[in-house]
Amino acid sequence: MAAATLETATKELNQQIGLTTDGSQYLTFQLGEELYGVDILRVQEIKGYTTVTKIPNTPPHIKGVLNLRGTIVPIVELRTKFGMPTIDYTMFTVIVVVVVQDRIMGLVVDSVSDVLNISKKDIQAPPEFGAKVDVSVLTGIGKSGDKLVALLNIDRLLTESEMQEAASVADA
Amino acid sequence: MIKTALIVDDSPTMRQMVAFTLTNAGFNVLEAEDGKDAVTKVAGGPKINIVVTDLNMPKMDGISLIKELRKMAAFKFTPILMLTTESAADKKQAGKDAGATGWIVKPFNPEVMLKIIAKILPA
Amino acid sequence: MSNDFSQFQEAFFEEAGDHLAIVEEGLLALEQHPDDLDLLNKIFRSAHSIKGTSGMFGFNAVAQFTHKMETLLDLLRNGQKVVTLEIADLLLKSTDCLKTLIDAAKTGSPVDGDTVQRLTVELATASNTKVEASAPPSTPLPLTPNLSRCFHIAWTPPEWLFQRGLDPLQIFKELANLGTLSQVAVDTSKLPELVAMDPEKCYLAWTMKLETVKDRQVVDAVFEFVREDSKLVIEERESLSVKREAPESGRECEAFESGTKTASRETSAVDGAEPKPLGEILVESGIVSRETLDHALAQQKRVGQILIEQHAATPQQVEQALQKQKQQESASQSKKTDTASIRVDTAKIDKLINLVGELVITQSMLSDLGSRFEMSQISVLLERMAQLERNTREIQERVMGIRMLPIGTAFSRFPRLVRDLSAKAGKKIQLVLSGEETELDKTVIESIGDPLIHLVRNSADHGLEPPEERLDNNKPELGTIRLNAFHEGGNICITVEDDGRGLNRDKILAKAVKQGLIAENEKLSDDQIWPLIFKPGFSTAEKVTDVSGRGVGMDVVKRNIEGLGGTVSIKTALGKGTVFTLKLPLTLAIIEGMTVRVGKDTYIVPLLSILESIQPKAEVMKTVIGKGELINVRSTYLPMMRLYDVFCLQPEYTDPTKAILLILETEGERVAVMVDEILGQQQVVIKSMEQNFRKVAGVAGATILGDGTVGFILDVRGLLEMSRQSMLVAA
Repeated sequence: MAAATLETATKELNQQIGLTTDGSQYLTFQLGEELYGVDILRVQEIKGYTTVTKIPNTPPHIKGVLNLRGTIVPIVELRTKFGMPTIDYTMFTVIVVVVVQDRIMGLVVDSVSDVLNISKKDIQAPPEFGAKVDVSVLTGIGKSGDKLVALLNIDRLLTESEMQEAASVADA
Repeated sequence: MIKTALIVDDSPTMRQMVAFTLTNAGFNVLEAEDGKDAVTKVAGGPKINIVVTDLNMPKMDGISLIKELRKMAAFKFTPILMLTTESAADKKQAGKDAGATGWIVKPFNPEVMLKIIAKILPA
Repeated sequence: MSNDFSQFQEAFFEEAGDHLAIVEEGLLALEQHPDDLDLLNKIFRSAHSIKGTSGMFGFNAVAQFTHKMETLLDLLRNGQKVVTLEIADLLLKSTDCLKTLIDAAKTGSPVDGDTVQRLTVELATASNTKVEASAPPSTPLPLTPNLSRCFHIAWTPPEWLFQRGLDPLQIFKELANLGTLSQVAVDTSKLPELVAMDPEKCYLAWTMKLETVKDRQVVDAVFEFVREDSKLVIEERESLSVKREAPESGRECEAFESGTKTASRETSAVDGAEPKPLGEILVESGIVSRETLDHALAQQKRVGQILIEQHAATPQQVEQALQKQKQQESASQSKKTDTASIRVDTAKIDKLINLVGELVITQSMLSDLGSRFEMSQISVLLERMAQLERNTREIQERVMGIRMLPIGTAFSRFPRLVRDLSAKAGKKIQLVLSGEETELDKTVIESIGDPLIHLVRNSADHGLEPPEERLDNNKPELGTIRLNAFHEGGNICITVEDDGRGLNRDKILAKAVKQGLIAENEKLSDDQIWPLIFKPGFSTAEKVTDVSGRGVGMDVVKRNIEGLGGTVSIKTALGKGTVFTLKLPLTLAIIEGMTVRVGKDTYIVPLLSILESIQPKAEVMKTVIGKGELINVRSTYLPMMRLYDVFCLQPEYTDPTKAILLILETEGERVAVMVDEILGQQQVVIKSMEQNFRKVAGVAGATILGDGTVGFILDVRGLLEMSRQSMLVAA
């Protein structure tokens, strides 16, 4: 009985603060003017930006690798990945550490905004064209209040070819 | 009251399996790798409610261990089970003569072991 | 056997491996000292251990075979049989066979059934026991009608009951659990006067009545541990209209012939944890007879057969499907295995726990200092930092030590190998082992096994002369192969030494010329000649034997050792013998590295691959079209690579005469790599790049530098290939 009461209470509280329980929670972050979101369950941690070590002969959006408590973690510059101009890092620049399949990687973003609960009915399929980024890396566009969030499919973020060694290094 | 079992076997795998069985049954487990080790470990150690010992061990075998334990005041009435693959009666007789309470034949299955222990261990 | 023990299988296989090694080693030693009882006991205990533990996992083939070995071993240690060469040989062969049986249990690999059967017979013959045709069939469960019976029990326990840790109360409790216990009467007639009474003795006897649905064996089992020593009468009196044999009244309960058989039978009958097949239930409840059931079961058809009869599938299709099923079964079985584990001496762990304790103390002292720090305390701070460094270094060493095992485990297979080799080659060979206690990383130990076998075989086959030749040359008939291991600096050295004929300079040269490895008139020093035997396809054996001499082996040895970051060197004297020295890093997880700088970036070069570093003069540089830049180092031209070029970096210097050239060597090839500056030498812990990213060309791995950032370890082999490719592209 107590558990049921608690559940009701939580639901009410969630409704009061604008959270619904039928959707998923997304960590949202800013890239330029736009708001992006990743499934919060895929986020391992958020850490401030620190210097990374550039990996030889890798594409520009592979920023480098970082020592995350003894593990070597690749860092992806999302701005470069999405073809946006790079900006100087500020005190808000953070690395969102996510888990992709069994691997851990970090995404450099301008700033972290919020955790939003977006219900399924508020998510639309990504537009076929006209978006600034390659739509294949999006799962959809979510609406939360008056905000539009581009939801990232992080499994697609780094393609197979990017994870495999470049066929001919000499070309690089 | 949590009961403490002393497991004596030179095979780490066998020891682990007995320990696993007894731990799951709520026992506190003390392990020794041979008779000599067991004698050292019981001195000044916690009160042992039951002993499960292998017979064939280096340094001090199970029969000698049982004899040693029975000489100690703390083990005068403690149930001692021998773990044995010996189907021959002479080992069992030797064990009983030394003061073993009973025996468990390897390979054993966990339920059988717990049943036998329940049989001889006062609640 | 389905129980919770499957999680311990891995540990069992590891332990069984150790025991097999002990048995084999022991048997070999036994050939020299056939009456060493301690040795026999040791061998017996190991075999016994395998038998007992394998049974726990239901590896019956292993348990049964080991039992046969154990029987013979028991006769030997009791002096009923004498260790002869034949018996030792049979036991050694049996050990090999047991190994395959254990492997089969582990990975599902095939077993040569004929060998098992033949050895089983031989073992039994040697033990003078009869062989059972197959595993004894388990006695069928007694049929138990679910009807109540009445037992009258009279029990007089032995006086010393308490002294064996037995408690009569437990027996009554258990009986009460079986059914209704009534009319319990105690007989106190034997109780002595109080003054004469020994409180540690049991003077009482009981009679009681038990009504239960359980059968006699279950009741018997309650008295399992006291039956033989008690006066016990269990009489069954018919209480209900069940037709049964005449009660075995007044029978003194018989000996302990099947103590646990009763116990395990009891569980299977009582608990019924696993649901019984329908047939069993029908038989038990008396609806059908066992014969009817067996008959029905015999008529039961397999799915495949039914499908064929209904023309739903062809016999071939079914056969194929069955094959596939088998493959999948074995595949899923072999997948399970091979999780690496390591056994660690508890002393090592205890020491580590202490060290971590110290670390925690140091840390709390530091944070305490930090919370109220004043500049005046700077010396305290420095002292604590030094302590922290000490703790950390010691923990690092100890943790690495966990992976360290004595090399003896890799040596242990050689006595047997040499014994077989000497028999095969018709040479008398003694093997001398030393330095077995030298510790090195488990991975390294596992990887050097094959190279060492090749070297020992090579010594036995090529190095040592046949006995006649030795005698002719005034050498003892008995040839010696020595295996030695020792630490030297941060490395471990393993030497394989023989007192044979030594390498023959002329033969090697002739062969090398014939194979086109060198030009006919090339002048070579000894040190340049000996490594020729490591070239692929090189073999000086005049005839090819099945032991070695196919020309595969020595090149594989070199490649494997270099793959581990080690080197192989040769010392030899004609007519005196040859020494192969393997130099290996202690561990694969840590390497000794040279940190170098290119622009702002730091890289680590494995120290073992660095020959020298030079600052070149302009005149030694040369550019050859199609070959890139070359540099003349003591009149040898080496290809030169600019690291900033290969890795697209911003260097400080582009002029080689201002920069530093590292001369690196890998697998016999040399290359000069240009960097800005050498920073220093340090041990680095290798971290995987593949774990979260992928392999990067020219990079062997990553490591964490002193400032917490990541540095890359150069892959010299990879760099060479990269430079070769870029040359191709350029040309």
